[in-house]
Amino acid sequence: MITVTDVHKEYLDGETHVRALRGVSLEIEKGEFLSIAGPSGSGKTTLLNVIGCIDTVDSGSVLIDGLAVTGGKKGDLIEIRRNKIGFVFQSFNLIPVLTAYENVAMALSLLGLPESQIRERTMNLLAEVGLSNMEGRRPAKLSGGQQQRVAVARALVKDPLIVLADEPTANLDSETGEAILQLMKGINQRRGTTFVFSTHDQMVMDYADRLCRLHDGLIESDELRRSA
Amino acid sequence: MASTETPPHGRSHRVRLQYFAMLALKNLFRYRRRTVVTASAVAFGVAIFVAMASLLNGLAAEGDRNLANYETSSAAITGAGYWRQREEYPLDILVENTGQILSVLDADGVAAAPRVAFRGELIVHYDPYPEDGSVYLALYGIDVERDPQVFRLAETVNEGRLPEPGEDGILISAWLAERLGAELSYPVTITTRTRDGFHQILDMDIVGIYQTPNPTVDRSQIYLPLDVVDTYLEMQGAVTAIHLALPEPVPGAADLGPVKEALERDREGVGGTGIELLSFAEMTEEFAAAVEIQDVAFNIVLVLLGFIAVVGISNTMLMAVLEREREIGMMRAIGMRDGEIRLMFALEAAAIGLLGAAAGLLLGARLVWYLVNHGIDYGTLLEGVEMDFRFADVLYGVWSVRTMFTAAVGAAMLAAVVALLPVRAILRREITESLRRH
Repeated sequence: MITVTDVHKEYLDGETHVRALRGVSLEIEKGEFLSIAGPSGSGKTTLLNVIGCIDTVDSGSVLIDGLAVTGGKKGDLIEIRRNKIGFVFQSFNLIPVLTAYENVAMALSLLGLPESQIRERTMNLLAEVGLSNMEGRRPAKLSGGQQQRVAVARALVKDPLIVLADEPTANLDSETGEAILQLMKGINQRRGTTFVFSTHDQMVMDYADRLCRLHDGLIESDELRRSA
Repeated sequence: MASTETPPHGRSHRVRLQYFAMLALKNLFRYRRRTVVTASAVAFGVAIFVAMASLLNGLAAEGDRNLANYETSSAAITGAGYWRQREEYPLDILVENTGQILSVLDADGVAAAPRVAFRGELIVHYDPYPEDGSVYLALYGIDVERDPQVFRLAETVNEGRLPEPGEDGILISAWLAERLGAELSYPVTITTRTRDGFHQILDMDIVGIYQTPNPTVDRSQIYLPLDVVDTYLEMQGAVTAIHLALPEPVPGAADLGPVKEALERDREGVGGTGIELLSFAEMTEEFAAAVEIQDVAFNIVLVLLGFIAVVGISNTMLMAVLEREREIGMMRAIGMRDGEIRLMFALEAAAIGLLGAAAGLLLGARLVWYLVNHGIDYGTLLEGVEMDFRFADVLYGVWSVRTMFTAAVGAAMLAAVVALLPVRAILRREITESLRRH
């Protein structure tokens, strides 16, 4: 479903050249619950960004659903992100002036779906992530865990090919973090949605069905595991 | 894996637009104080713009009215080429067939008043005047019967009366009377030249004092009966101009066609190619320069007000965009196009612009109301000004819905365009860079 082949990526951090990815190759199948682990600076966020079509590569290729996204046109990449990829960010990145409902509905509004469909799918998703009756609350009136649930709902509501989550539990306490992981794991099992995380949190690694360790821009290990 | 069906393009576009509009409106309340401050700056600009436009339009309208009512009338028949030389007061470019022309115009029901304009020196002596003195002025022989049908001079006589036909009496302005120390029945001597260039001296008495709202007239013109002028200047019935009053809502709007046709019907009788029919626009084209100066001043004000709005709005939007850079990064990451982000911020800024414009219109309407009903007294300011201006001491504004509409729409559009500058800078950055911002 997603094929990453010999991807190299270098960027400038101030005046320092950082070799974030140094020939990474990876195959991700549909329905996987994959964790990309590694210390800070190992290249895990860069890899996630490359798969998510929000960062370019210096060399190598990325195929999503058989479509080459490296070197793709800006408009094509936007369409892929809009239709096929869901993002969950470390710091939730909800829009503070919007309610939980409106934050989730945003992803569907971009697709231009009819209001009735947006409403039905958004309410269903909010119920699925455990936020029934909270659709009218703004992020400031929600706990960190609830905010991340809204973010998960926003990523899932368009029924994407893959959900990319960049350290989704990093801003949550362990109990809430685990609840979020359980939520995503449940969705993965029920819907068969593919999840790819970047993390250095052992608990997230423990939840992963497959653990890919990165070190200095290279895949150090890639192992299939059972979920915790 | 389920796929999302793509709805028809038009409908999807509308859904997105509605969402962006909703988001833009909600963001207005996100930075309430900043929104209020910026909208206030826009309101100030719009209000001043509307008031300035009202005053300048009032000035132009008043200028045209005062030209038509006291100097040019709606149209005039003169000797060919006279108007270009009129400030030299020539007595060799004349309308000879005055009687015939007036007959033609009378038959067509066109109000017409012949005048003879000439230059002369008005001399006064000590006792009854406070001191000896003289002044060069423009003198006008007017047909006392016909002139009030075309000009409004007679309505402005506030002491005495118009001189009667055959009377050696003159009408002077209150402005001149005050400077000369003149009163009704005081004698004056006028030295001038006849049509043939011979020196002539006229001994007259002041029979009336007028005060028009046209300072140029008040400061330079005195009037005496046309038949007296005809005799003293040996005009033999010729005049320098026949002024016409035509029905028109505003000066310059009259249709000269029927008058042209009437004159054409008796081409030989009225003077053939020796005369010309001048429209209000032709007679006042030299004042276009003054209007241009007004326009320049108006444009300078417009630029300054625009600058205030640009600085206010761009600053607000710059802060808003910078504070929301990570949010913008998130939106781009989940598939929002650059154009959609620009549209969202443009809508937000346009809404601020419209809010400000609405407040500005309310304030501006209040200012215009004051200007229309009370005006601004420029009297003291213009006391010593030696220039041609044709409005009275109190300058009144006029209502212009079009100007107010333009100001409001312009403010909203300007706000929307200005907002795009900071957004453009953010959209040039990589999405990943924006997502790292705190």
